[in-house]
Amino acid sequence: MTGLPTRAGGASSAAGDAFENAEHSQERQQYLTFLIGKEVFGIGILRIKEIIEFAELTVVPMMPHCVRGVINLRGAVVPVLDLATRFGHQPAIPSRRTCIVIIEVQSGEDATQDLGVIVDSVNEVIEIPDTEIAPVPSFGTRIPEGFIEGMGKVAGKFVILLNVDRVLSTDDIVGVASRMSGAAEALAA
Amino acid sequence: MVVTTDMTIYTVAELKPQLLAAINGSDEPRIELSQVAEIDSAGVQLLYLARREAAVAGRKLRISGCTPTVQEILTLVGFPLDEEAAA
Amino acid sequence: MNLDLALDTYVAESRELLEQMEEALLAFAKGDCDADRVNAVFRAAHTIKGSAGLFGLDAIVEFTHGVESVLDRVRDGLVIMDPVLANLLLECSDCMRQLVDAAGAGDTGAVVEEAPALRQRLSVYLGEARETSCAGARAQPPARVAGSAGDWHISLRFGRDVLRNGMDPVSFLRYLATVGDIVSIATLADALPSVEEMDPESCYLGFEIQLCTAADKQTIEDVFEFVRDDCQIRILPPSSKAADYVDLITALPEADTRLGEILVSSGALTQAELEAALASQSDCDQLADVPGAQEATATNRRLGEILVSQEVVREPVVQAALDKQKQGREAKGQEARFIRLDAEKLDRLINQVGELVIAGAGIGLAAKRVGATEMLEAASTLESLVESVRDSALQLRMVPIGATFNRFQRVVHDVAQELGKDIGLVINGAETELDKTMVDRIGDPLMHLVRNAMDHGIEQTDVRIAAGKSAKGMLSLNAFHESGSIVIEVSDDGGGLRRDRILAKAVERGLVAPDADLPDREVFDLIFEPGFSTAAKVSNLSGRGVGMDVVKRSVGDLRGTVEVDSVEGRGTTIRIRLPLTLAIIDGFLVAVGKSVFVVPLDIVEECLELTPEARAETSGRDFLNLRGQALPFIELNQLFDIAGPRSPRENILVVRSAGRRVGLVVDQLIGEAQTVIKPLGAWFQTVKGIGGSTIMSDGRVALILDVPGLLEHVHRPASRREVLKSAA
Repeated sequence: MTGLPTRAGGASSAAGDAFENAEHSQERQQYLTFLIGKEVFGIGILRIKEIIEFAELTVVPMMPHCVRGVINLRGAVVPVLDLATRFGHQPAIPSRRTCIVIIEVQSGEDATQDLGVIVDSVNEVIEIPDTEIAPVPSFGTRIPEGFIEGMGKVAGKFVILLNVDRVLSTDDIVGVASRMSGAAEALAA
Repeated sequence: MVVTTDMTIYTVAELKPQLLAAINGSDEPRIELSQVAEIDSAGVQLLYLARREAAVAGRKLRISGCTPTVQEILTLVGFPLDEEAAA
Repeated sequence: MNLDLALDTYVAESRELLEQMEEALLAFAKGDCDADRVNAVFRAAHTIKGSAGLFGLDAIVEFTHGVESVLDRVRDGLVIMDPVLANLLLECSDCMRQLVDAAGAGDTGAVVEEAPALRQRLSVYLGEARETSCAGARAQPPARVAGSAGDWHISLRFGRDVLRNGMDPVSFLRYLATVGDIVSIATLADALPSVEEMDPESCYLGFEIQLCTAADKQTIEDVFEFVRDDCQIRILPPSSKAADYVDLITALPEADTRLGEILVSSGALTQAELEAALASQSDCDQLADVPGAQEATATNRRLGEILVSQEVVREPVVQAALDKQKQGREAKGQEARFIRLDAEKLDRLINQVGELVIAGAGIGLAAKRVGATEMLEAASTLESLVESVRDSALQLRMVPIGATFNRFQRVVHDVAQELGKDIGLVINGAETELDKTMVDRIGDPLMHLVRNAMDHGIEQTDVRIAAGKSAKGMLSLNAFHESGSIVIEVSDDGGGLRRDRILAKAVERGLVAPDADLPDREVFDLIFEPGFSTAAKVSNLSGRGVGMDVVKRSVGDLRGTVEVDSVEGRGTTIRIRLPLTLAIIDGFLVAVGKSVFVVPLDIVEECLELTPEARAETSGRDFLNLRGQALPFIELNQLFDIAGPRSPRENILVVRSAGRRVGLVVDQLIGEAQTVIKPLGAWFQTVKGIGGSTIMSDGRVALILDVPGLLEHVHRPASRREVLKSAA
């Protein structure tokens, strides 16, 4: 992801500038692309541990809707997030092609944690040169701006490259959860 | 060859092939240590290896330019040094 | 090549040594002084100093040197170890601990404020013999045995991983040079493998050293204390005979003649002696056993025999030397019986065994489904084996509570002084074992209870005498196993809890109705309410803003309970009950809709069917009639918002938590199962009422209910009074 954040940060600069920047022409990254609804998203493959078939989840009560539950991943209990709900869309409806993508995220200083995200279907792994990544447009995407790291251009179409750390931020999600349980407490009282 | 880094556990992995290349590449292999500020057991051990390999190839390894620190340690462990070894 | 790792080991070992030191010093403070303990303290200080020198921790070396010097004079009988000195040394050990902790945190230049004053006070004991220079690792360790200097021979063969472990053999040689004069060093690079195989980060070096010193063997050995496990060391004393060198030569890996040459060239042997010794070597091998020295190892036995047979020393001297060495070996043997290992590795093993249990159960299920009898039998054998492996694995995490208890000797000593009370500590059941995680986490709550008991429990001396009690107050720490849990008690023989004062305070705070008639146990439980204190004055000891509620919460986090027994005027006992391990629980499985939950079995009182009639009777109330008693209940499907079809037959699981009985309404009672607890990650920490998760034999995840958390969540303070009343 080197070089990306600065580019994504310069949202106001014209897309063309980024494309002509020859300095980074040799930086190429591989992304796993997948579908949520009709939109194509991408996540750098370095963060992805594996992809598994969607299986029955154990629901954990009193969690925000985007946390669909937990699964048993070879003996580890791994939380699973519904990306569609996280983006503020309708929850994913599991189909035969629904998958859970297991992603490694930083949790604390030295520790990492595995998280699963539900996607409607997995497409392919593609290489997107740095020069083909445009900054985040200030409008026009249907997901919160902070979740996007950049817009990859592949065969004339855009792939939304996700900022995994933001999308899967424990603080964001648990913050919501504690507010919710606070509300539940108020109700119970 | 001139060793330009310290000769410690942190550098020996890198130095090993360089030293061996220097020994095999010359009839009068010489290792110049004037830029070596620090040497530890790993470095000493590498010098022993270099000396042995030179001997196997029928050559005599010359060590030169030891800084006082390096010389003190090589003397302590009894590494054979010539008069020219000192800086 | 992990220096940090080596430093971590140094810090951990130093802390242990400091603990041992403290234990002995506390005994001295009580006037209980013997030579063995003095030696132990000296050795601890010496080792801490010596190893600190290797890391260049000059502050530790310098300070500890003073401590060591005083202790050395105690050993020599020049200074008497009295309680005053013991207390001073206790303060010094605190200072050393601070320095060690600072070094562990990466702060090698830490300054401890008290250090100069302590050094000043120590210097009084050093008198005229005080060494003028004590700076740096090069300070001369005091010679142990008044003997003349002689040439020692030391053979060193370093282990392959020494360098990678952050140790530098050369630095040990330099340190050795501070113990005596190095006459010669021959470096052996013979073990260097072929160029291709030689890993430059492995160590292949060995050294043959002649050292001229008046120090004793122990002092020389101590130089290598830190690599002892990673390295072969052989030390021959000055007057060793040729045969000893022959022994050495045969024991070491290099060719006999090669070593022989080194020894001759270093002057340890003459050529003639070497040849003669090598020739007579076979004769030595045929020596018969000597009765009385059977425990000694073969090498030592032979050494002794050779010495005697050569009439170098008389038999009793050899026997004494052998005995002494044997003691040393036993001490070392004891250390070697333990393996220090990363707790994470253990956790991984236990997790994997947990998986094995689940996988085994899965095979059993599959076999049952297929109806293959043979396979079923095999699966059940496997399952019981795996279960016993798991028990052994869990056993690995168990450590005795003694070390934790012993730390309180010091606390009691200090706090008693601070309070001006005379208080003794009795420890029982130090050998009782419990999970390492729990040992680590029970320290703070215990600390609070002990301070509390000393401060508020045990009365001032005059009050005690007036009450007809002994002037000296007694505190006791007690641990034992009881029906699958471990019980830890903190008891004092003080004034006991004042029931009337607690009750008055509780009424005042609105926790209890004025007319409530509560049993003693429930009244005493009130002291665990947040912010509840009946202490007339808050001292800086126990009134530091942490209350008994924190103790209770910490114990609750460990899935334990706290209870109080107290007799006014006679004393109080606080009893902590903890599960044996945090990794596993006996659970009771229930289903609500499609969700399965695990309830810890030890809190389940009974299960009953919720008949439609009983259901109708509740008609909107949140309690039902259980054999004439009101039982509050919680409907899990509502609380957890579980949708889906309800079972036509509902059941009630009656659980007890914190002295209250509550019914949990569920759809289905599945049954008992041993479950391996898997913590839920950070995402779920805020969820009330769920304590963790477990993987069931079909591979699905079930959530473990945290019943106390659940009750706290449901019954807010406003409704608390009612619950208390209905429970009563």
